[in-house]
Amino acid sequence: MSDFTYLSSSDDDDNYNYSDYKQHEDEDDDEDEEELHDGFENDDDDEWNTSSSSSSSQVITKESLLAAQREDLRRVMDMLNLSEQHARTLLIHHRWDVQKVLAVLVEKGKDRLYAEAGVTVLDRKCLTSQSSSEVTCIICMEDISVEEVTEMDCGHCFCNNCWTEHFIVKINEGQSRRIRCMAHKCHAVCDEAVIRNLVSARDPDLAERFERFLLESYIEDNRMVKWCPSVPHCGNAIRVEDDQYCEVECTCGKQFCFGCSSEAHSPCSCLMWELWTKKCKDESETVNWMTAHTKPCPKCHKPVEKNGGCNLVSCICGQPFCWLCGGATGRDHTWTSISGHSCGRYKEDQNQKAERAKRDLYRYMHYHNRYKAHIDSFKLESKLKESTQNKISILEGKDTTLRDFSWVTNGLYRLFRSRRVLSYSYAFAYYMFGDDLFRDEMTKAEREIKQNLFEDQQQQLESNVEKLSKYLGENYELYDKGKVMEIRMQVINLSVITDKLCKKMYECIENDLLGSLQLATHNIAPYKSKGVEKASEFPIWSTKANIADSHDLTHNTKIDGVTVESNGPSGTQNNESGSSTRKHTNNGSGGSSKKQRADYESGCSTRKRGRREPHGDGLFDLNLPAEVLDKS
Amino acid sequence: MVDYARVQKELVECNRDKDISGVSIELDNGDDLSHLSGRITGPIASPYEGGIFQIDIRLPGGYPFEPPKMQFITKVWHPNISSQNGAICLDILKDQWSPALTLKTALLSLQALLSSPEPDDPQDAVVAQQYLRDYPTFVGTARYWTDTFAKRASVGTEEKVQKLVEMGFPEVLVRKTLDIVGGDENLALEKLCTG
Ligand SMILES: [Zn+2]
Ligand SMILES: [Zn+2]
Ligand SMILES: [Zn+2]
Ligand SMILES: [Zn+2]
Ligand SMILES: [Zn+2]
Ligand SMILES: [Zn+2]
Ligand SMILES: [Zn+2]
Repeated sequence: MSDFTYLSSSDDDDNYNYSDYKQHEDEDDDEDEEELHDGFENDDDDEWNTSSSSSSSQVITKESLLAAQREDLRRVMDMLNLSEQHARTLLIHHRWDVQKVLAVLVEKGKDRLYAEAGVTVLDRKCLTSQSSSEVTCIICMEDISVEEVTEMDCGHCFCNNCWTEHFIVKINEGQSRRIRCMAHKCHAVCDEAVIRNLVSARDPDLAERFERFLLESYIEDNRMVKWCPSVPHCGNAIRVEDDQYCEVECTCGKQFCFGCSSEAHSPCSCLMWELWTKKCKDESETVNWMTAHTKPCPKCHKPVEKNGGCNLVSCICGQPFCWLCGGATGRDHTWTSISGHSCGRYKEDQNQKAERAKRDLYRYMHYHNRYKAHIDSFKLESKLKESTQNKISILEGKDTTLRDFSWVTNGLYRLFRSRRVLSYSYAFAYYMFGDDLFRDEMTKAEREIKQNLFEDQQQQLESNVEKLSKYLGENYELYDKGKVMEIRMQVINLSVITDKLCKKMYECIENDLLGSLQLATHNIAPYKSKGVEKASEFPIWSTKANIADSHDLTHNTKIDGVTVESNGPSGTQNNESGSSTRKHTNNGSGGSSKKQRADYESGCSTRKRGRREPHGDGLFDLNLPAEVLDKS
Repeated sequence: MVDYARVQKELVECNRDKDISGVSIELDNGDDLSHLSGRITGPIASPYEGGIFQIDIRLPGGYPFEPPKMQFITKVWHPNISSQNGAICLDILKDQWSPALTLKTALLSLQALLSSPEPDDPQDAVVAQQYLRDYPTFVGTARYWTDTFAKRASVGTEEKVQKLVEMGFPEVLVRKTLDIVGGDENLALEKLCTG
């Protein structure tokens, strides 16, 4: 394998070390390995700590699921003067999009809105109060006492046994969210209270599952809500306010792209990221290239690459051989024959194809190497966390006039954040300027202009990040005060610069690179100086009051008791208990937050962070994934 | 699991007016109420007129809350019925099933389907294409299939069935075997003997 490094040594820039690549592939097997956290604190800095209310995303725990759902139910109930179950039916039909319900109401009118969703609002609950004491249920074909039959809002009446059977079948089919009436061609959705009562009389466990399905519809049928992709599942879901293309962090610490549920990957679009990870995993390309482009030397068996047009190749051991049959030959050759052997296949073939494949691979390697280099640096730098703590304590002990070390922590955050942006920016560039996605959208000249523009910014960012890394890696704890102050100045400056450059790069991507494209839509999660946004917890308590003043208290408390555990996307939830003891900040006035965040500049914060510390009691919480910390 | 009381009632109710409705249901397998055999007469003024079509009916555990499974035993040339295996494409046998429907209503729906095919939602693409592009040929083929596969039952087969039943084979098996071998009495006997 190591023989192979000499292959591309002719081109320094594109130098490609196969064994490195291989190693990287191996690492990829460990999925978490590549997950990067830039470790910013979102919500504990006073200057923009309108705290949780500043988040545009919220964590929905199993405790707050009901409250979150009820918020939307309320709006529809109030708007249309509907019962809760009818509001739920409407919302489920429209995937919990209150705006959509409104739009349909305006566009098509109330009747159509209701009919399409299967809502029947009728007050004729007296059809069965006929004189006779028995009615024939046409399902079981028995005469049943009127006490034992139930009439739905749609006016269809069947015996309780039959209803129960029907509900059980539908719940088991996973159709809890819209169980229709049993009558042929009746589209009415059944009253959930009736379902609840009848099913729990027969099978309380199933009734509980029914409740859960209804509750979880809020997550699973909802565009703006997604399960947290943590494994094992933390039990939470995240709700975003208005932008589905964002990156969020769950209270469990999992950071992810809301658009595709994989790790946060901006400035790559979800599609780019999907393609990129697939490509990185797909080793076959390299293997193919190897088979297509190298042949083992018949003498020493090292792989030899074909260089140039003719089919006589020479190994560095000096052995010439025929590229087509692999047989050893003499040196003398023409375009049609090589001395010392005759395989009859010696001609110009497939050269262009091979050249193209080679170009493609080199191009990929170019971007991948840089992408990987920044990830590697990130991992190395994460060790700085501990050493920085030591340095700070040494400095604190040494000189009492040096009190404020927030520049170090902020500098580190900035370094992690920028590294991350940098590494993903190479995956972005690979697709932005490659043939896969935008070939028909840009002329060659346009592409070149864009590429130059982007690479300028990328290089600026890169050099500043390296400088920042260098200063933060110095042993400043050994320096005198003047020198420390000098480094402090540099770190603060570089932090501000890299933050600005990152922001500029995102703007360039949005406005100059993608903005002018017509066909493809690539939504990039916006740049956040402070890193991936931590979702705030959805407040339970404020809405609890609503529950109480709404109807049917008993049944609500029952829903509250429902355990969401064995459910969730992977079925492997491992809920932390005691979440009821969490603090819940009232989600009062949001709005101002975005502006504040945008105005935030790194290095300005002078406050130490006093947040709960999951990895020992250090001075600050980088919130790195455990596996990165363990490695360091 | 199956609501047998209801199935019993359905059988009685359905067969009461079978001469008028043109559909009937029999037990297919001894006392097993979950495996039935339906018959429908080909609708008048359709290429299926004069034919008698046998339908295999299997009732799932959740019947009538789950739809019955139905399949043509008799070969039939129809856009919504597989010419290969008799599988039926009909909404009420799938998601549009309602427990308020019965086996009889389902068979009547099949009868109606024979009268008015829905080639836009085909089960058999070949037949559907022919139906749409070359209707006369379709009618010819459908009629030929009816004559070949759906009529023998009413003409010569009853005698053959009777003969074989008298030899000691169960009627259902006899009918099935005759169907499989295309009505050839000797082949059927051979098959019945070899099991
Ligand atoms: Zn009943
Ligand atoms: Zn109804
Ligand atoms: Zn989580
Ligand atoms: Zn994504
Ligand atoms: Zn060699
Ligand atoms: Zn040459
Ligand atoms: Zn050769």
